[in-house]
Amino acid sequence: MTAPLLEVRDLSVTLARGGDELPVLDKVSFDIAPGEVLGVVGESGAGKSMAGVAIIDLLVPPLRRSGGTITLGGERLDLLTPRQMRRVRGKRIGFVFQDPMTSLNPVLTIGRQLTDTMRRHLPLSRNEARERAIAWLTRTGLPNPARVFAAAPHELSGGQRQRVVIALALCAEPDLVIADEPTTALDVSVQAHMLQLLRDLHEETGTAMMLITHDLGVIAKMADRVAVFYAGRLIETARTEMLIARPLHPYTAGLMQATPALDAAGVMRVKAIPGSMPGLGATPPGCAFHPRCNRSRDLCRQVTPPLADAGGHAAACHFPLRQEVA
Amino acid sequence: MSAGDVLILNEVSKAYDGRVSMLDRLFGRKAKSLQAVREVSFSIRKGEVMGLVGESGCGKSTIARIAAGLMAPTGGEIGHPGRLRQQMIFQDPFSSLNPRWRVHDIVAEPIRTHGLRPKQEVSARVAELLTQVGLSEADGAKFPQAFSGGQRQRISIARALAGEPDFLILDEPTSALDVSVQAQILDLLRDLQARLNLTSLFITHNLPVVRLMADRIGVVYLGELVELAPTSAIFEHPRHPYTRLLIDAAPDLDAEDRSLHPIPGELPDPSDPPSGCVFRTRCLFATDRCASERPKLRKIGPGEVRCHYDLDLTGRELVA
Amino acid sequence: MKSFLEALRGQPGPIAATAFILLLVLYAFTVPLFTADPFSMAGMSILDAFTPPLWMDGGQTAMPLGADDQGRNLLTAMAYGLRTSIMVGVISVVIGLVLGGALGLISGFVGGRTDALIMRLADVQLAYPALLLAMVIDAIATAVLGRGRSNEMAIAIVIVSIGIAFWVQYARTIRSSVMIERNQEYVAAARVTGRSNTAILVKHILPNVMAPVLVIATINLGIAIITEATLSFLGIGIPATYPSLGSLIRNGNAYLQSGEWWISLWPCLVLVVLVVAVNVLGDHLRDHFNPKIRGRS
Repeated sequence: MTAPLLEVRDLSVTLARGGDELPVLDKVSFDIAPGEVLGVVGESGAGKSMAGVAIIDLLVPPLRRSGGTITLGGERLDLLTPRQMRRVRGKRIGFVFQDPMTSLNPVLTIGRQLTDTMRRHLPLSRNEARERAIAWLTRTGLPNPARVFAAAPHELSGGQRQRVVIALALCAEPDLVIADEPTTALDVSVQAHMLQLLRDLHEETGTAMMLITHDLGVIAKMADRVAVFYAGRLIETARTEMLIARPLHPYTAGLMQATPALDAAGVMRVKAIPGSMPGLGATPPGCAFHPRCNRSRDLCRQVTPPLADAGGHAAACHFPLRQEVA
Repeated sequence: MSAGDVLILNEVSKAYDGRVSMLDRLFGRKAKSLQAVREVSFSIRKGEVMGLVGESGCGKSTIARIAAGLMAPTGGEIGHPGRLRQQMIFQDPFSSLNPRWRVHDIVAEPIRTHGLRPKQEVSARVAELLTQVGLSEADGAKFPQAFSGGQRQRISIARALAGEPDFLILDEPTSALDVSVQAQILDLLRDLQARLNLTSLFITHNLPVVRLMADRIGVVYLGELVELAPTSAIFEHPRHPYTRLLIDAAPDLDAEDRSLHPIPGELPDPSDPPSGCVFRTRCLFATDRCASERPKLRKIGPGEVRCHYDLDLTGRELVA
Repeated sequence: MKSFLEALRGQPGPIAATAFILLLVLYAFTVPLFTADPFSMAGMSILDAFTPPLWMDGGQTAMPLGADDQGRNLLTAMAYGLRTSIMVGVISVVIGLVLGGALGLISGFVGGRTDALIMRLADVQLAYPALLLAMVIDAIATAVLGRGRSNEMAIAIVIVSIGIAFWVQYARTIRSSVMIERNQEYVAAARVTGRSNTAILVKHILPNVMAPVLVIATINLGIAIITEATLSFLGIGIPATYPSLGSLIRNGNAYLQSGEWWISLWPCLVLVVLVVAVNVLGDHLRDHFNPKIRGRS
């Protein structure tokens, strides 16, 4: 086994509210291998975006990182000064945000933003940077890259802007790209284009990717491995095919059944999970999912289940689903 | 038009006149008009759930607003036999409830407006409705801000049911919700549909959702209805290339087959749509005829399609 | 009320401002209850004219702040003046709010030509300073009603002049809020239900657009009080024979050169404290209720 590129151990994030420190992320640990795509899935408020933002140290008060270690290629990111961290962002970790409009500077041309980013991190002359920028725009499949180079963000369509954002995240050749809901704001047809582009660029550059999404379909198509978040905790992780074919955690299984899909008889089915995810600071004792789980027993109400690894498939559940099947 | 029709749209169009400032007019610039909806015809039968699917900006929400009477069409006509009591459920669970009103008053508004119950029975009716959508009577005293997105959508549903509608319009009612909450709302809507035999128009961009909810589906592209057929026919034997591509474009849960199916090309500028068939710029089967002649919505099998050709699009892959 | 208290929590500046305002209001409305009106024959004693403040030679315990040229006890006279100023301020703000609010609601909701007409009117009015406008309205009223008017009439004219002079700001704020609210889906829902335009405007939209204008009203209260004082000082507002902070200051102004500084200094101080307190509170409320500054939560 190769050494992981990114090692996150016991990462905790809290939100200060009225003198209390509410847990947003509760001791989350995961790895990303070089060149691997880790899909991070969960519903809004589960903490999945927080994990991405915490890694690049962009949390803003009242949010703060309250514990844990983050290691990228052997270097402890959590010990870096803000100044050192700025060199990591963009250069070693690229970021793709959900909203392409807010992640582009509206008053600078696309070309300026690309060349600035590259020259900040790579030893390039002005002309080299320009050539590379146009090459990147061509690679993202934008029609007429020279025109896009000179264009302002508002002159492009939503899909085109998202392509530019992806080029921006990748142009300094980072080891890791964190993509936070990169296709959520887009229509189905544009979404498929964007996933195709991410996949192509991932294969070309060999960069590792942390793909944060609420869409299990996107996970199924894109991720090598999946991490499922619930109420600020990582509750299940496994290779994608394994997790989708045989989820161990009742929440993961419930999430899949809640996605409308055809059953074996070719009939559309949807099955809701009763109740709702606990809000911030309202996490119940024991397993956070127990009030909504039809398998919960006394143990679940009292003891928080640890993430137990069984042959590369780990789930934080006292009574995982496979036991019943076996 | 048959006796069982609740709503009929006949060649309904909606054009927006582009706004031109005084200064621009001085320089001889002309207003760019935008055809948001073009000659859309369909009817909804009593007790039926009609679905409309399409991508953002295709005009499906405009059709919903015209059907709801919130907007007047610029061409064609809408007809409903007899007097029609309508209600609508909106996409945004935050802006669709007045933040200064208590839930009780929100749900009671249609009852009071139409005088559906004597004054002293309104409270009991509101309590009954709140229970019916999975909330409690005590929730009536709270303001909408006290509820989550899913609960707010339940309040919207209770308000719509309070009006005892002959016809219900749902505009992306679950698009703003998380998957597990969406499933709860879809469950609730299906349950109510079965019990109350509602007639409704269900608008969404989500194909699995519309497949679950609708009896019949209309597919909208660039302001035009390109295909209209019973749900099973749309998914099993799509007749329009756009329908086929749209079905394939959404990633499913199959992690073994990782192929992606983007729809080729980009959406044309809606203010300058292609001549002839609006889809021809992205269609794999387009011919010269498609550029010169606009196809009519014609009957084929159990449905209707706006395409010159009888294409067989059954089967998994659609590649160039 | 609850949200007002909520807005003040842990904010020493605005709390102090509120305390000052309450204190001044208490002073203005209780003193007249057990003293004779210093502007009536019973309230002045010409023998005490120009009595200096207590700590100076010739000061009297009964008149700790001194007396003016007519022998009015300044401590009492200022309470009467302050009462007038507060009433003029509040009523004129209410008039401006109702007038501007109604025009803003109609402008934002109806749109089109009605909107254009009202907004152009507002533009024209904004080309003139509010003070000048109040002076013009006052002059017109005087021309129409004649010079021989009573004090009450003069006050009413001042109130209406100031009210009209300030409607634009309310109208513009309400109009822009209405334009946002009318496109909210709860309005569409009410429309589908079959509510009339009037019902939608009054029951649905109005409650949602009031918060920002109430904040503006607080800030304008300070400006209205200043405007009244200025008009009275210039001698075209409240006559010198009737108490207001402005007329007291004007009265004392004549004696500043001759050393009787106290006659205009005390009312000036009261005016400054009142207006600063109102502004501090208004500014704070504006920031507190402005979602952009406050951030999402």
